Formats: sequence, structure tokens, C-alpha cells
Amino acid sequence: MDLYLPIAEVSVNAPLLVALGALVGFISGLFGIGGGFLMTPVLVFLGIPPAVAVASMSNHVAASSMSSVLSYGRKRAVDFRMGGVLAAGGALGSVAGVELFRWLRLLGQADLVVALSYLIFLGIIGGLMFWESVGAILRRRRNAPPRPRPDRRPPWLYGLPLKLRFPRSRLYISVIPPILLGAFVGVLSAIMGVGGGFILVPAMIYVLRMPANVVVGTSLLQIIVTSALTGVLQAGRNQTVDILLAMLLLLGGVLGAQLGARASSRFRAEELRALLALIVLLVGLRMGLGLFFTPHEPFVLMSGNG
Amino acid sequence: MQGALPPPSPTAASAVISAALTETNVRVNSDFRGDQIVLYGAVFDPARRPSDVVVIVRGPDQPVRIAKKSRIGGVWINSRPVVFQGAPGFYIAASTRPLDDIAHFAVLRRLEAGVGHLAMHAPAELRTETRYGVRDVVVSSLGADYLDWRNAVVRLKTAEHLFAVNEHGVRFVDRGLFRAEIPLPAEAPIGQYQVRILLFQGGQPVAEKDRTLTVEKVGVERGLYLWAHRRPWSYCLAAMAFALAAGWAASSAFRRD
Repeated sequence: MDLYLPIAEVSVNAPLLVALGALVGFISGLFGIGGGFLMTPVLVFLGIPPAVAVASMSNHVAASSMSSVLSYGRKRAVDFRMGGVLAAGGALGSVAGVELFRWLRLLGQADLVVALSYLIFLGIIGGLMFWESVGAILRRRRNAPPRPRPDRRPPWLYGLPLKLRFPRSRLYISVIPPILLGAFVGVLSAIMGVGGGFILVPAMIYVLRMPANVVVGTSLLQIIVTSALTGVLQAGRNQTVDILLAMLLLLGGVLGAQLGARASSRFRAEELRALLALIVLLVGLRMGLGLFFTPHEPFVLMSGNG
Repeated sequence: MQGALPPPSPTAASAVISAALTETNVRVNSDFRGDQIVLYGAVFDPARRPSDVVVIVRGPDQPVRIAKKSRIGGVWINSRPVVFQGAPGFYIAASTRPLDDIAHFAVLRRLEAGVGHLAMHAPAELRTETRYGVRDVVVSSLGADYLDWRNAVVRLKTAEHLFAVNEHGVRFVDRGLFRAEIPLPAEAPIGQYQVRILLFQGGQPVAEKDRTLTVEKVGVERGLYLWAHRRPWSYCLAAMAFALAAGWAASSAFRRD
């Protein structure tokens, strides 16, 4: 059944989109990520204009994160104070990111920056995560004890002013690193059409040293705020949110996210991480390597009249 | 835009063309997947001179932004985009024979018949200079590559099915009676389309008819489109509220089991 999308102005296969939404929602619930980094490239590949895909995705990311964060909240796995601080940074970042994206589109360099961001960020994160998780799996196979987590607290994190207590995370740290982290993820959210969980989760574990049980729920809280704001700004400023497209993705996405969150307890954490790392690496390479090959068509039409 | 038609030969009555679209309003709704517009027409020529018919459908003009990729430091990067004005958002030229066989270059150029003859230009790239003592010579900063750029616009638009040339798209089905089919893709822009039906005899246009075709969004599609563009802030707040509510609903629905 084909459906004509009023804002994207293209005709798409509706059941295919619902199924895609469900698949990405499942992955999102399984790994505790927004899933935008997977969905946005797929939508572009299906012929949705990139600007519309990036903006409509933020609605989808907000909805599926909302669905999962409530489940995590009931399990008391959300640090609302930390989430609030991250989200404040995220709000600043997404306002800056939407403006930056507008400016890049005017310059005609939006495609390049999107592709490079995918290659660099997904490549680095995926590579590190894969290395770490394969190491963990091998150690468990050899029955070696898991490598002890270095508990040395970095002085730059604890020496900064504006300290705040985060009881649920058992932390007493400055608010500056979480705000900077939130802002950085907010900018990426606007440019790449992603929630930013793939950066947020590792950063919260390795940089902020938050306990693993509250990391996913808290990152989802930040993602909701950032992507909701990005979605509203994209629609208001650029008129690129297609509500029908978002609804189709949502329909599958929220159901998939619930199933994914349920399925996640059946896998070992390091196996999940290794799988996610592979997906992240593949998407990053697929999006970015095109920049290095000689194109068939040296010219490219730019969307929008700028 | 079209000059006076050349006078027909004094001995015979001049030829007349008439045409009608089977559909003048294309309604874009949720199951719109493109459309096929059929055009019927007739040539009345008492002298029975050999006739050719050209049908040109032109959508609303849309400026085209196009960039060229160039290799910088091993990475292919877009150059500064060039804006071409005067390019139609949709263009198809259907004819009974290849256009080059029907009329000369100058005639086709004047009528903008054929994608190669569209009057597109990039005003931002133009400047005037004094060359060889001649003042106000218009030169383009695209220089000798200008044709490459122009051809690229045509090539890319053709790949999106928005530009087309159909050399045998008009067929005479009976003496004097002709039929043309215009494929309209789902990506066709919304707006007023000009349909120009030209009768050629001896390499010259001798008669023409103009028709209009309206492509418009209707129903829910139209409502959403207008809402998003006229009241973007209420639209986006509603979209986001809906998204968050859907997430909340799914979470509560799954709470029990």
C-alpha cells in the first residue's frame, strides 16, 4: 500500500515504513539507544529528502525514547537530576545545531558534514566499543576475571567548580562536564538526525563514571528533551517535519521498542555491545566511505531553495 | 514570447489545431503515485500538408541549486552551489518525430522546445566586463564549463523523471486526430502547468493551443501541508505532543504483561 507524504512530497510504501520503524524500535529498546543513526540513512536511501528525514526522525526518536524511559523509570533506573543537567546542555546544543545545519545547507556543505560526522563518530565509537566488548567476551571464554574498572577519579572532572550531588548515580561532580556533553550531543542530534545515545552512553560510563544501571535510562531522558526540541525547531524554522512519515515510523517504533527492552534481559551485556558496535561501524562506513570514491555523477542537485 | 506566426501560403486556408486534456485537475491525495494525463487533439488542414505536433508541458518554475563535486585532500567535496533561474519544476516535450527533424535549432530555441533549449541561466554567476574594447560584455564565472553545468541540470532532472523528451509521445491515431500521454511522476511539483500544443508544417510553427493543468493537494494532504507552512509552530508542537503521547501510550499498554 503506497502512501503520499504531504511534506516530503514523495510516495512511499506504508507497511515497509511501519516494519522499518518496528525493527529500529526493537534495536532501540534492545540497546537503549534512539536508533536514529540507523533510521535516518535508511530513509534517505528510500528516497525521502535528507532534510525531511533528519527532522522527522527527531519526532520518532522522541516517541520511542519516551516509551522506553517510562519502563526504565519504573525500574528506578533513571537519574532525573543528571538527566536534567544533560538536557539543559542538550537544549543549548540543539538550538545551535539547527542554526548550524541551516547555514551548512546554504553553503551546500550539509551532505559533506553529515557524511563526515557519521564516518568519524560512528567509526570511532563503533571501533572502540567493538574492541572493548570482544575483549570482554574473550576474557569470559577463558574464565579470566573481568578487568577491574579503574576507579581512579580523573582530577579534571572533580576539580571543576559548580559541584552538585547526584544521589542516584552516587556522584558528587561539577555540572560543567555533563552540560558540555549534553550540548555536544544536541548539536549532533540536529545535524545527523540522531538521538545521540551512541555517544552519550559510553561518555556517561567512561567519562562521568556513572553506574551502568542508570546510564541507559538517564541517556534516554536527555534524548527525549533534545530530540523534542530539535523536532520543534526543525519544523518551525525549516518546515521539514512530515507528520505522516513520523506517525508511520512511530506505529512500529513504539511497539518495537517495548519488545526490544524486554528482549534485552536475555542477552549478555558484552554480546549486546559487540553486536551494536558492528551495526554502528557498518552504518558509519556505509555513510562515510562514499566521500573517498570517485562519484559516477560529478554534479549534485541541492534540495531547498536556500 | 512567441513572435508572429509566418503567413500561410496565400493559396490554401491556414491549418488549425485543437486539443483537450482528459483531466485538467490532478488531485494529489494520500494514494497519489503519479498520474498519466491523456491529451487528444485534431489538426484541421484543408490542404493536407504534412504536419507534426509537439506537446510541451511545463510545471511551475523552480530555481535549481546545483553543485559540482571536486576532490580536496582525498575527499569529494561539493563546490559552492550555483543557482539556475528559469528552470521549470517539471518539463516534458512530446512530439510525433524527433524535435531536430521537425524544426531548426533557432525555432526550437525560441519556443523552448526540448530540454536543450530551456532558457535557464545562472544570474548570480554573470557579470559584465569590457573585452577587446567592447563594453558590457556578459560573461559567466562558470566560463567554458557553463554547458557542462547546464547539461548536468538536465541530466539530473531527467534522472528524477522531472524532465523528459519523448520523441514519439504524440501519435496520429486517425487522419488528423492525435493522442499524447504525459506521465506525471509522484515527485511532480504542485501548481499550475502550462500545456502548449504546437502544429509544425515545413519546419515552422503554424498554429498553437494553450491549455492549463492544475496539480493540487486535496483532503488531508492539503490540510497538513497548509498547516505545516502557515502555522509551523502549532504544527510542530502538535506533532511532538502526538509523538510523546504515543510513546507514553505504548509504555502503559505494555505495562501489565
